[in-house]
Formats: sequence, C-alpha cells, structure tokens
Amino acid sequence: MNAAVARVFPIATVVAAIMIVWYGFTVYLNAPWQIGKYEKAGIEWQMEDLVRDTMALDRPILPAPHQIAIEIWQTTVEKKITSKRSLIYHGGITLSSTLLGFLMGTVLGIGLAVSIVENRAMDKSLMPWIITSQTIPILAIAPMIIVVLNSVGLTGLLPKALISTYLSFFPVVVGMVKGLRSPDPMHIDLMRTYKASRMQLFWKLRLPASVPFLFASMKVAIAISLVGAIVGELPTGAIAGLGARLLAGSYYGQTIQIWSALISAACMAAILISIVGIISHITLKRMGLQQ
Amino acid sequence: MTGFQTLLSRLGAGAALLALVSGFLGGGSDMAVIGGSLLLVLAGVRHVSGILPHIVIDLAAGLVGMAVLLLVLASGMGAAFWWLLVASWLFCWLAVERGMMASTNTAMFSNVILLAVPVFFGIWIIFVWQMLAVGLDIPMVLLPSPAQIAVRFMASTSVLWADFQQTFLKAALIGYILGCGSAFILAIIIDRVPFLQRGLLPVGNFVSALPVIGIAPIMVMWFGFDWQSKAAVVVVMTFFPMLVNTVAGLQASQAMERDLLRTYASSYFQLLIKLRLPTAAPFIFNALKINSTLALIGAIVAEFFGTPIVGLGFRISTEVGRMNLDMVWAEIVVAALAGSISYGLLSLLEKQVTFWHPSNRRNHS
Amino acid sequence: MKKLLTSLAVLAISATAASVAQAADKLALQLQWVTQAQFAGYYVALDKGYYKDENLDVTIKPGGPDIAPPQVLAGGGADLMLNWMPSALAAREKGLPLVNIAQPFKSSGLQLTCRKETGITSPEDFRGKTIGVWFFGNEYPFLSWMSQLGIPTDGGDNGVTVLKQGFNVDPLLQKQADCISTMTYNEYWQVIDAGISPDDLVVFKYQDQGVSTLEDGIYVLEDRLADAAFQDQLVRFVRASMKGWKWAEENPDAAADIVLDNDASGAQTEKHQRRMMGEIAKLTAGSNGSLDPADFDRTVATLLKGGSDPVITKKPDGAWTHMITDKAL
Repeated sequence: MNAAVARVFPIATVVAAIMIVWYGFTVYLNAPWQIGKYEKAGIEWQMEDLVRDTMALDRPILPAPHQIAIEIWQTTVEKKITSKRSLIYHGGITLSSTLLGFLMGTVLGIGLAVSIVENRAMDKSLMPWIITSQTIPILAIAPMIIVVLNSVGLTGLLPKALISTYLSFFPVVVGMVKGLRSPDPMHIDLMRTYKASRMQLFWKLRLPASVPFLFASMKVAIAISLVGAIVGELPTGAIAGLGARLLAGSYYGQTIQIWSALISAACMAAILISIVGIISHITLKRMGLQQ
Repeated sequence: MTGFQTLLSRLGAGAALLALVSGFLGGGSDMAVIGGSLLLVLAGVRHVSGILPHIVIDLAAGLVGMAVLLLVLASGMGAAFWWLLVASWLFCWLAVERGMMASTNTAMFSNVILLAVPVFFGIWIIFVWQMLAVGLDIPMVLLPSPAQIAVRFMASTSVLWADFQQTFLKAALIGYILGCGSAFILAIIIDRVPFLQRGLLPVGNFVSALPVIGIAPIMVMWFGFDWQSKAAVVVVMTFFPMLVNTVAGLQASQAMERDLLRTYASSYFQLLIKLRLPTAAPFIFNALKINSTLALIGAIVAEFFGTPIVGLGFRISTEVGRMNLDMVWAEIVVAALAGSISYGLLSLLEKQVTFWHPSNRRNHS
Repeated sequence: MKKLLTSLAVLAISATAASVAQAADKLALQLQWVTQAQFAGYYVALDKGYYKDENLDVTIKPGGPDIAPPQVLAGGGADLMLNWMPSALAAREKGLPLVNIAQPFKSSGLQLTCRKETGITSPEDFRGKTIGVWFFGNEYPFLSWMSQLGIPTDGGDNGVTVLKQGFNVDPLLQKQADCISTMTYNEYWQVIDAGISPDDLVVFKYQDQGVSTLEDGIYVLEDRLADAAFQDQLVRFVRASMKGWKWAEENPDAAADIVLDNDASGAQTEKHQRRMMGEIAKLTAGSNGSLDPADFDRTVATLLKGGSDPVITKKPDGAWTHMITDKAL
C-alpha cells in the first residue's frame, strides 16, 4: 500500500502543479480576446468575471483543462463507439495502423541491425543511408507515397502503416546496433575460449545483451509510430482517425477539438509506452538484466 | 569465397544468362545489352571454374553492366534490360563483399574502401532510381528522375539557401539546443531529487507523446508565424528522447564504480562529472543523434501550418500543390544533406568522447 | 441443416446480385476538399440515386490539405477530379493533360477579408500589410491580382508580406495578418462565428475586382477522353451531377443534411453546412454545367496578365471541351 502511494504521490503532485499553472495561463492568454469582447459589448468587468469567462470561451487560445475534459467525455462516453463523432472510433483507426507499423518497423529494424553487425559490407553501405533516410521529411512525401501506393493498388491500412514503419524502424536500428555491439570484449573473448561459433556468439551473448537497448528504442519507436499513423491519415482525405480529427479541429478553428484529439493521442501513446515498459520490466527481470 | 559470396556469384551469372536469353528472344536487336550480358555470364562462369578470381574483375563486370544500361536507357525497356540490371547489381555487391574481407590488409587501402562503399551504395540507389524512372516511364508528377532533380537543384540554389537558413539554422538548430539542453538539465535535477523522478518522468513521457502535427498549429497560434513557433515545436519533440536517454544513462554506472569513488570521498558533483556523466555519454549521444533528425523533421512539419513564404516545409508543401515535384525533391535533398551532415558530425564527436565504449573499439567484430 | 441451406441460398442470391451490380460502371470522383456543402450536388446525386439511375457506381473521395487532385488523377487514384481552373491550367502546362468537361460553378466565391481597424479601404492600401494566402493551387488568383496592380509580394513597405495561411481563420482573429483569404461560403462565416461583426470587416471580392477565375470544375485526363465507352460514362455522370446540383439549389437545407450524413469525420455542424449551401447556391446559379467560353477566356486573360511571374505562360489549347456537356444536357 505504501509503495503504491509512494509512486502515485509524486505524479499527483506534479500533475496538480501543472494544472494550477495551466489554469493561470488560460486566464492570461485568453484575457486579451475576452477584454476585446467586453469592450465591444460595452460591459464593465471585474477580475472574477474575467476569470470565469476566459475559462468558458468557444474558441479559446488555450482551453481550460475542464473544457477539454468535458469535450473528451462527450465524445467518448456519451457517443456510441461506432458513431463517426466518437473519439474511440477514431482512436481505434489510428491505433490499428500504429500497431501494424510498429510491428513491421521493429522487425525491419532488428533485421537490419543484425545484418549490419554481422556483415561488414552491409554495415558500411547501409548505415549511412539508413540515417539519411530519416532526414527525408516524411510528412513532405507522405502524400506522394500514398498516391503512388494507391496507384499500385495498396489502399487503406497498409500505406499508413508503411509510413509508421518508415519512422519507427530507425530508433530500433540505432538502438539494436548499439546493443548488439555492447558486450564487453572480455565476454566476447571468453566465448571464443569456449570455441563458440559466430552464430553461438550472436545468440548467446550479443542478442541478450542488446535487449535493454531494444526496449529503450521500442518505447521511442512506438510513440513515433503513432505520429506516423496520424501523419498518414492526412493524405487519405483526413476522414478518419485521430489525425483527421486534429486537422478537422484545426480547419474550423475548434481549439477544444484540437486539444481533445491531441490529449487522446498523447494518452494513447502513453498507454502504449507503458505497455512496452511493463513488458520490458518483466522480460529484463527474468533475464537478470533489470537494474 | 564464403558461401554467401558464392551464392551471389551464381545468382549474378544466372541473371546475366537470363538477360542474354531475353535479349536473343527479343529479336537480338540490342547488341549492347547482349554483349554486356555475355560478359557478365563469363564473369560468373569463371568463379565456377576458378580462373582469374580477382575482385577487380567482379567490380569491372558490374561497372560494365552499369555502363551498358546507361547507354541504352530510354523509355520502356524490355526484360533483357531489367535482368542485366539485376546481374550488374549482384556483381557489384559481390565485389563489395569480397573487398570488405580483403580490406584488413593495409590501413590506407582499407580506409579508401571504407569511404568508397557507402558512396558506391548511394550511387547504386540513384542509378536504380534513374533506370526505373526512365525505363518504366514514370510521370514526373509522381516521381521525377534524379537527372531532373539535379537540374532543378542547380537552377534554384538561392531559393534553397534561403529556405535552409530559415528552417535549419533558425528553427531547427535553436530548438534543438534549447530542447536537448533543457532536457539534460531536467534529467540531472530529476536524478538529484528522486521525488521528481517518479513524478516528472511519466508526465514528461506524456507531454512528448503529443504528436507534432497537433502541437504545430497550437504553437503557431501562440508564437506567431515566424521561426519561433517552429523552434517551439522542435523543443517539444526533442525533449523526450533526450530526457529518457539521459536518465537511463545516469543510472548506467555500476554500483562498484560508485562505491569506489565514494571511498575517495567524492561529492555528488564530482561523482556526477567524473563517473556518471561519462558513463551516460553513450546514451546521451544516442539521444542527440536521434534528435538531430527529429529536429529537422519537426521544423519542416511545423512549417506546414502557417509560415512566412520561406522555409523548407513551406516550399515543399506549396511546390507539391504546383506539381513541381522536381523542386520538392531538390528541397528534400537539402534537408537530407543537412540532417546527414549533422548526424555525421555528432558521430565523430561521439567517437572522440566515448572512445572507451565497446562499440567504438577497433576489433569489435 | 436448415441454417446451411439458408446461408447457401443467401450466398447464391448475393452472388447473382453482385454479378448484376457489376454491370454498373464504376467511377471515382476526387473532391478538392473535405466533405462539405461545396460539393453538395455530387452527394445529392449519390444519395438520391441519380447516379444509380444512370447505371453508375460512383465513389466520392474527399480531399484535404495534403491531397492534390491532379496528382491523384495522374496516379490513377480517380477517374475525375474537381479543381480550380488556374490550378488545372498550370498542371496542364507542366505536362499533365487535364481537360475541363463541365463547369457547375459560374461565379467565384474567393475574397480577401480584412479587419477594418487596419485602415484598408482599397486594394492600394494592401501595401505594407500582411496578407494570408492559401497555397496548394489556391494562390494563383491572388498572385495574378497583385501582379496586375503592380504590388510586389516580397514584403517591405511598398509590397505585401504574404503568409502561408493554414486552412482556418486564426491569423485574422489573432491579429497575425491584416487580411486573410476567405471563401464567401466557408471561412468568412467562421470569422463571423468567432464573434467579429461584419461592421468590423472590409471585404474585397475577386469577382467585383474583375480578377476572378473559374472555380470548381470537373476535369479528366485527355488520353482517357478518347475512349468512347469512357465518354459515355462521363456523359451520364455529368447529367446526373447537374441534376443533383439543381436539386441542391432548390432544396438547400435538405442538401446540407445529405452532406452531413456523408461526413465521415463527424466534424461538420448543421448550422455551418446549411449556411454554406445557401452561399454555394449563389455560385452555381446561372450555370447548367456547360463551360461558357467567355468565362474561360476571362480566366486565361487574368492568369496571363500575371506580369513577372505568370501562372501560365501561354494560352492553353484544348483545355476544355463541350463534347460531354453537349450530349448530357
């Protein structure tokens, strides 16, 4: 019980502090607009009127936390899951391409990392180009990728997942390469004294040593995969998914809608990252690598 | 030759044979393709028989194939062409594989090879792209060929330079320094105050999971249209990887080492600077490298949401709308160059600072 | 046993139904923007079965900020697209052979909306001000207009500072721009909804300034137009679509509701769509779908007058055809 409290209390304190600062900024940032409204309507205003009204604006510069909470509540709990106005429906669409992209990205990343570490030619040829591939701004060419993939018949989930794959394979490659090369040379020499073949060296030493690095990279990769899924939704007409919701809010100036979609996306990413973290904790504990 | 290399030589010879056969079946009109495939078949056969096994001949075979392909390139190519492409690729790959194994002999030779290999790989990517773009007659509005992009690049250097300054030097770089710097400082504070660690880390995770395309319009609303809002986006994007990695790195020092320094009566800051930060350096550089690409992408993405009419992101989005895809790709080349050079510089710095890490030692095969 | 027989029967019936349905010709229309009343005519035609009556199976693909309809058409993702004429003509000059087969929109809804407090009363006052312009194909009318007035667009006191406006009206509300581009049927009303009264705004309609260009038109690729079977499909499509447009003009509220039903993002509101439909009806009025060559010439003349940076450099040839509308109407 005490342990649970000890873990929740710091988070709760920090969150409470952030809420207080947020409310302060809500009043501060929305004040100019609200004061302008008062002046246009010729109303005399007091500080408490200002505080109350800045937290209830329709198109605020910074929505108050409770406004966002109400919006999220209304679009998740109060709507049917299958309704097109439900955040859960949109979240599910984004989640599906995130997970598929993450899976493909991790597999690709691990495969590339293994070939880079084991084969010098691959190492020297591929590594610089993998890094360069990430410097190509994916959002710029996502529409082109989708159009090209559509023209060869790939539509729907797969193009979006491919964009997620493109973004998420890189942290996995970088982390795994570092991890596969992390065993102490002493340990490698020890394996050699046991007459271990390259394969045995790989499976028994390099791969286990790389697991902490893999999980650290997977946490980054899954968050990036979510961004890729959202980016991928834009060129497909922005009709479904959290990204579409975000953009729709942006077009119509519905700031509260933007924030609610944003917070939901962040919640989803946080949940996914914690799931990876839990799996990481369990795995590393069983492997004896947990610090 | 290893098993893999033998496989490559067999496949190469096979592909060349197919090219030869398709060349004849196609009417035998294209002498260059037939001639090239014949040479490659011979090159493959010699490995079977064991005569003249020099690496240079493999390389020459691949290059001859490439030359032939360039010579005959026109829109709409037949099967012989594509098989010759595959065969040339396999021979070049074989040459590189064998070259890497031989490179441990002399230092200078191996340095030359180490530089040449990625460049050669890059040349091949561009080569295949050009072949596909022209040979398959892909319209420019879908995918321009490298030749068209190069022409456009040369013609628009002033525009590209202005865009580069706006996006990279102002938005991305400043945001990167602020983001990584603040994350570093926060990580050290978190380390000092375990209470904050339990509290801030989860919240930090959450904040950085906010997708950049959602943050961008909000930042534009708050910080205006110019580069400041883009830098703000970059700060948010680079914060999480840096924070997570620095915190992980600070915990990476071993208990034995920490105890040793404590027996030397070192203070917290001495412990930090002499042991924990150097041990954390591999993790920190990992994050710095990841962030260098994230920063540039973040700045470009942020420019999609409102910007003065200069900047890489702006140019890319508007030129896509105008169907000037060669300009779009020229801009992408600039972004890719900028990002790669930053990454390269960071890697060099990393090798200097973390020379002791197993992954940086010479004989890490 | 009974279940097996029933399911087999259902399967057989649906198979035959599917094969009968195969007989309808499939067409994909790429919209220029997200689902909204701007495209009501097509949604009405779909909803009310006009396309089905013509034996067409039409898929309407919504657009968005990252979708360039000419690119989708080039990639084979759609058979027809909606586009503004300047953008289509520019694409045609770049080598993508687009042809206008119908023009439901007679008038232009493009305008610049400025805050009165900036002191702008005429286009000459634009000098030294910040103006928000959409890009992605929508900047051509503006650039052409500025070129004709002789106002440079690279900032400074004598020229205008151009901002790439996102697709919302915040730059005006947050005072980051003095004027923004708006459509009479969409963004203008967003500004009003945000609380600014029309008295505080100064509006310059491109139509009134004599620099308007033709907007939403239906375009296809020229090489496909040569196919007689495809031509026939297009004739039927245009006929059904124009029927949809005329119905929408007469029943704006019901048309807006049909659009809302088809909105997959769930982001549109009834108030906004009904108002938009009312305004769109004003733009489609006066056109039966057939392109008026006089309007075409006026558009081309406006674009060619673009001075130093013209949108197109020569008069386009064969960019439109009456072939389809003659048979359809």
